[in-house]
Amino acid sequence: MKKSLKQLVIDTATKYIYLSLVIDGVEKQSVYEEGINNHSVTIIPFIEEMLKKENLILKDLDQVIIGVGPGSYTGVRIGVTVGKMIGYLNNLEVYTISSLALMASFSDNPYVLALIDARRGNAFMGVYQNLNKKLISISKDVMDNIEDYIKSFEFDLQIITEGKPQIEKLLHSNLLNKVDDIHSLTPNYLRVTEAERNLKNEINH
Amino acid sequence: MGKMLFLCTKDWEVIEMYVLGVETSCDETSVSVVKDGKEVLSNVVLSQIDIHKEYGGVVPEIASREHVKGITYVFDKAINDAGLKFEDINLIAVTKGPGLIGSLLIGVNAAKVISLNYNIPIIGVHHIAGHIYANYIDNGMIFPLLALVVSGGHTELILMKEHFDFEKLGETQDDAVGEAYDKVARILGLPYPGGPVVDKIASIGKDTMHFPRPMIDSGDFNFSFSGLKSHVINVHHNMKQRNEEINVEDYCASFQEAVTDVLVSKTIQAKENYKVKQIIVAGGVAANSGLRKKMKERITDIPVYFPKMAYCTDNAAMIASAGYFQFLKHKKSDDLLLNGQSRLNLEG
Ligand SMILES: [Zn+2]
Repeated sequence: MKKSLKQLVIDTATKYIYLSLVIDGVEKQSVYEEGINNHSVTIIPFIEEMLKKENLILKDLDQVIIGVGPGSYTGVRIGVTVGKMIGYLNNLEVYTISSLALMASFSDNPYVLALIDARRGNAFMGVYQNLNKKLISISKDVMDNIEDYIKSFEFDLQIITEGKPQIEKLLHSNLLNKVDDIHSLTPNYLRVTEAERNLKNEINH
Repeated sequence: MGKMLFLCTKDWEVIEMYVLGVETSCDETSVSVVKDGKEVLSNVVLSQIDIHKEYGGVVPEIASREHVKGITYVFDKAINDAGLKFEDINLIAVTKGPGLIGSLLIGVNAAKVISLNYNIPIIGVHHIAGHIYANYIDNGMIFPLLALVVSGGHTELILMKEHFDFEKLGETQDDAVGEAYDKVARILGLPYPGGPVVDKIASIGKDTMHFPRPMIDSGDFNFSFSGLKSHVINVHHNMKQRNEEINVEDYCASFQEAVTDVLVSKTIQAKENYKVKQIIVAGGVAANSGLRKKMKERITDIPVYFPKMAYCTDNAAMIASAGYFQFLKHKKSDDLLLNGQSRLNLEG
């Protein structure tokens, strides 16, 4: 009997927690729920429940796909920690993906701008294109002024700030990045902390 | 009741219990394996002190980022150092609070993954219970005992009538003693963390300045250090304004004498009041040499224990030890909804 490929997808970079259990390219179980400051409580019970419904345990998994941000939402660290630990303990193949790409996959519009608010008119943004049932990135994720950034594109963009990922559009895309050293995996913060910025300014002035 | 009986049988006592401790409440990422609450098989501590030093204190966002970065490495090293596999662990004990919430959540979630992965029971442990049980690793506990908990976040006197039974007799009404040390160090331009440096300098000075001993005769077991802190800072400021030369050694010694006088005196009052058989000092400030010396000089009728230096600062071995006794006492573990809590009451 051919062994099936079991993938767990984890993303907690926004106020929505997204978890998906994919078997042979098909999403068998999933969770997409709003939970402000609550991902830390629910993530493990949700994973346990999804696995149980498929009669699986963590050790049965083959791959973990982890949404690594960008963003400043503290939740991003929950998913990365959990994904990192699952990958490490079971010696799994681990892939990272942009949480903006996951969000963008919700839409079937030709051009999608996924946005995570960063206050003061700024946001973490990524622009993606739907092409032949696959999602492709057409500009790398940035932290920028929302208006300026949108103006820099000459075509119409659909702006989205939430939406349940269509994971099948991403599984064979080049948006997945293989992690070579699990211990070095961290979220993609895209910018240094405020404390580091202030320290740098102090030194420069 | 069935479960309780099982745990109380002789069988249970002879089972070797390996506890995996996890501590990420502030700026140390630590994992440890401790057998039966006492025998430390490994204790890995990834300290961030050098990173936070530049900022003069712990930056919560940086601390959280560092915990995520180091988390799997620390688990890997701790289990290998112990010569065990995760399957050999009988209980996972993780600090659930109090502390920096972003930091706590990393340890709690990593620990929950191990619990689910290997079907090992997990319990959330109070950070201060950990500091108290740091003493059990090298010493024993004779009840009733009195614990003086002194750190950058805590100053409290706790009475224990038996294992894992805590009664808070009193606590600081404002600053923790460690905070006051850090502030004094900053005024003097000494590097972070200030406590150990002030302690070292104080050891070669004399108490020439006679700072006040706040609340020393208040009749209760509470503390207050913000007034002393302000007073000490004002004296420094005024001397500078008058261009008087400050004898740093004597200044530090005077501050340290004032602080330790209050701590030791309140401890003695509580000792008499509650007729305890043992005193233990816990937390980062338990490493302070002036406090160690004065405690041992002034209390000679009952044993006074301090943890080994390595177990004074935050570490996971103390959490594993506390977790062991918490499990024996309450005979139940937590479920996977376990969460971190920035504020948490020790008395439960
Ligand atoms: Zn501590």
